[in-house]
Amino acid sequence: MSKWQRIIAVCAASVGLGLLLASATPVLAADAPKPAVANKDVAKDLVLRGDAKCTRCHDEADSPELLAIATTRHGVKGDARTPSCTSCHGDSEKHLGHKGSAKPPSPDRTFGKKTLNSAAERSDACLTCHKGTKRTYWQGSQHASNDVACSSCHKIHGQNDKVRNKKTQTEVCFTCHKTERNETHKISAHPLADGKMACSDCHNAHGSAGPKLLAKNTLNETCYTCHSEKRGPFLWEHQPATENCASCHTAHGSNISPLLKSRAPFMCSQCHDGPHNSKAPYGPVAAGNQGGFVGTNPTENATGRACMNCHAMVHGSNSPAGALLHR
Amino acid sequence: MRIRNEKMNISVLGLAVQGALATMCAMPMLAYADAAQDAVAAIRRPTNSVEIGVENVSQKSAKFGEYNGLNKSGTEFIGNFSVRGGDAYDGGNGTLRWGVTGTDLGTTSRELGATVGNQGRWNLNIGYDELRHNITDTYQTPQQGSMGGNAFTLPANFGAFDAATSPGVRTLNATRLGAFHTEEVGTTRKNTSFGAGFNFSRQLSLNFDYNHLDQSGAKLMASAADGRAATTGTWRAEAVSILMNPTNYETDTFNLALNWVGDQGHLTGAYSASIFKDGYDRLSWQNPMLTNASTAAAGVYQTITMSTAPSNKLHQLNLSGGYAFSSATKLSGGLSYGRNTQNDSFLTALPEIFLSPKASLDGLVITKHADLKLTNQSIKDLMLTASLKHNERDNRTSSGIYQYYAINSTIAGVDTARNAPYSNKKTELGLAGEYRLDKRQSIALAYDMEKISRWCNNYAIAGSCLVATGNSEDKLGIKYKLKAGNDVKLSAGYSYARRKVTEDNNAVTALSGLGGVVGVGPMDVNAQNYPGYSSMTFAGRKQDMLKLGINWQANDKLDLAAEGRYAKDKFDPILGVQSSKSSGINLDATYAYSENGSVAAYASWRDSKKDMRIGGTGLGAQNAGVTYAALVAPTNIWSNQLNEDGNDFGITTKHKLMGGKLELTGDLSYSFDKSRYSTQVPYLATCGLATVGTCGDLPDIKATLVALKLTGIYALNKSSKIAIGYRYQQLKSDDYSYNAFQYGYSSLRLMPTNQVSPNYSENVVAVSYMHDFK
Repeated sequence: MSKWQRIIAVCAASVGLGLLLASATPVLAADAPKPAVANKDVAKDLVLRGDAKCTRCHDEADSPELLAIATTRHGVKGDARTPSCTSCHGDSEKHLGHKGSAKPPSPDRTFGKKTLNSAAERSDACLTCHKGTKRTYWQGSQHASNDVACSSCHKIHGQNDKVRNKKTQTEVCFTCHKTERNETHKISAHPLADGKMACSDCHNAHGSAGPKLLAKNTLNETCYTCHSEKRGPFLWEHQPATENCASCHTAHGSNISPLLKSRAPFMCSQCHDGPHNSKAPYGPVAAGNQGGFVGTNPTENATGRACMNCHAMVHGSNSPAGALLHR
Repeated sequence: MRIRNEKMNISVLGLAVQGALATMCAMPMLAYADAAQDAVAAIRRPTNSVEIGVENVSQKSAKFGEYNGLNKSGTEFIGNFSVRGGDAYDGGNGTLRWGVTGTDLGTTSRELGATVGNQGRWNLNIGYDELRHNITDTYQTPQQGSMGGNAFTLPANFGAFDAATSPGVRTLNATRLGAFHTEEVGTTRKNTSFGAGFNFSRQLSLNFDYNHLDQSGAKLMASAADGRAATTGTWRAEAVSILMNPTNYETDTFNLALNWVGDQGHLTGAYSASIFKDGYDRLSWQNPMLTNASTAAAGVYQTITMSTAPSNKLHQLNLSGGYAFSSATKLSGGLSYGRNTQNDSFLTALPEIFLSPKASLDGLVITKHADLKLTNQSIKDLMLTASLKHNERDNRTSSGIYQYYAINSTIAGVDTARNAPYSNKKTELGLAGEYRLDKRQSIALAYDMEKISRWCNNYAIAGSCLVATGNSEDKLGIKYKLKAGNDVKLSAGYSYARRKVTEDNNAVTALSGLGGVVGVGPMDVNAQNYPGYSSMTFAGRKQDMLKLGINWQANDKLDLAAEGRYAKDKFDPILGVQSSKSSGINLDATYAYSENGSVAAYASWRDSKKDMRIGGTGLGAQNAGVTYAALVAPTNIWSNQLNEDGNDFGITTKHKLMGGKLELTGDLSYSFDKSRYSTQVPYLATCGLATVGTCGDLPDIKATLVALKLTGIYALNKSSKIAIGYRYQQLKSDDYSYNAFQYGYSSLRLMPTNQVSPNYSENVVAVSYMHDFK
């Protein structure tokens, strides 16, 4: 598709969608909340529907940080699906009925560090509404079974949820995933540290059908999202590359560029011992004269890109002359 | 041939999107000019922000600016903004929300986005994201042609240094050296996205996402030409050149999903597509061994032609959903079917190609996926999970016999091979149970089984196309968790896995019988590897893994955490990777010493080791019928170890002064990594000689990164701040692989590029003004 075709397609889609929305909105109005009734409690609501019983104490002077929920999607009162305080925190009658100066009992469900509610109880508060799509595989997922709740990562009351911002998401994930944090400091890494990639570009933290919470069904499918030039199928395939990119690469960072688990020729010797030069041992000769070798011809089989000096097309070749992944 | 001028490649779609974004950006400024708000109304309103400033980078460095756009010395513009609005923030029944954001606008890492939506009804979003990947700014080449182009030639006066000359006496004379010039190599990715969502009702919604990725520039790759005396056929070793391989790519990705959500179930049906297009079908370059076409002969060519990544398409249908039988029993699952095709015309009329049975591959891969997961908590303290997954890559591409001239083939010899369209399928079963012993402790048991089969459809000759036709793995794991009081959490886990491989040592792999008679086989055993050797990727193995973790919330101010892990793999084969071990420790501490300040620190240590045992040269042929015992004597085996160490330390502190008007943050991190290869060749007494160099230690591959970031933000008033930042970053690295690229180093077996292991010491000073408004 040419650029002009794409522009026309995008414009047409936008216009079409706009017309559809314009015509459909009145129909959907039936789903909208009823206009506010002149009710005493409703009148006292500050930011959420029915929040008056909470905001009589937790008002703008006491808890402005809680009221900041008004700036989030949860705070859109016109959307009939949005919650009240008790939708997530429970009816909390003991908390509401408390009188006196002593510290009141906690609401039925709390989400802070000192909460007595289990991770499952906390997540259930969210999953009541947030069902399906990206959360289809939440139940029994790695995070769910390791006591990670939605609120462990998400900030519900604030305008800025770190984990939903590409620039700051890693700060949240690396709170637990420390090995991955360290790996991103290595000389060869995806651009996570620069905020040009986020963990969620590859992983679905809410559960997935793929390995390691990968967003796609397989590792290779996930990698091909950005590296589609390596998808093929090629005339000459390199079998491990078709099955598992991680046969050679590590995703989070490596001391050996580009994101390699080892270096040629040694990496190649992990799978090849016999054909051509793969049986030949290499020591300091691979570092050439600067590495202590004093011969006249350090071999190109071991130096520089080693095997890949000639077998350059390790991800596959489509040349009829590329059987050895040379061309 | 097409030459692509990256600078002039202005995306019209990108401009349209940016124009729309700019227009939307102007809207909020007017909308809020006169807004008078009380305290609650102010809380309801989102905080908008604009930041403008400048930053100065002390020196040019492609590595420092690898992804952040700060690869040049000098001053860059800082521009960030985030503006939101709509009647949804008015506290009434409005549902309109919109937002416009822009980050890093002054660099090649800029990003712009806009969303607008009637919450609960519809939403639209557009985005533009640019990423320049700076690969090197020291690369030099005598090949002429622009970065991003696909044809490279040597200058007319370069001369041949020449096919009849041994590598040891090839030289770069003054004329040739004069032809070398520096290129800044990198790729630029420009993503333009559009998304829309529509809710038909509470239960039914539709989402559409489109992304266009335009990639330009180049990555470095190696390529080899044959060095052979054209008239006598005397082989003179390859001549390797490092080339700028163009990334003239476009990828369009679509996803259309229909979602249904009910009280007990939910279902998503989606169609997705990924269309990849490569603007070039080849990369050609000139053989420095042979600049005179008249002396070319079979196997030796003046112009070398590489294939490029072929354009391909993937269309996929996905269905996923879940059903809650009760609050205790839930089921989720999915199905996926994909068609991945590729039918780019093969390169033709090239001297390298002797026989190609088809004009194009007509490649087809069918991908299938199915999964099902059942969770049950009928017994309050017992959580049970059972899952089943199946993934298949069914390559239905035909296989044929191809003949060609390979590098290092005999001058009149034609090599023969058949393509192997690899297929595989993997089935995984998982059973897990977690039992809460009491309020403080729980124990979890898990069993996982994995089976993989591999094959080739329509293989051109009889026999298996690969040796490792199957794998099966069983894994058992146990995990214990304890909450000791309210402050301490402990976890300990152990798993054991056993992988077995099914091998067909008589497999006739794609390259078996190379140069031999078509259709005859097997000529080799074990894919030409020595008997007893298995690839690490497929080899049978035993794996032990241990993980420990402790978290201690000492008090409201101090939080301490420690975790450790250890893994050991022991492989079955007599030859190949024998074992690998890795271990790591992470320590973290956070101390909030006052309401106005906190400090966090971490330290990590990790190491790993891999041992390999390889059958060496001189073991004889790997012909059919030859056994391992007959071939391999212990004195013919060499070994190699890879040892890797890494340490990380970091400390971050935040402190507020002057009643909160001044906020200071400091971030210091240190990272050190080292990789070392050691080789032993007991059967070769001379291996350690400096003229042989096949045993001993290679120089360490080292990288040390130190980064210091200091930021001070001073609030001029409630809505305005001045930020001053200083960043120091130093990378010291040493990597022997760059030795080969230096002038005069390798007797021109490898054309020098002058690339060096990255080292930099950067100072960046930034000043910016930030304005917040409602």
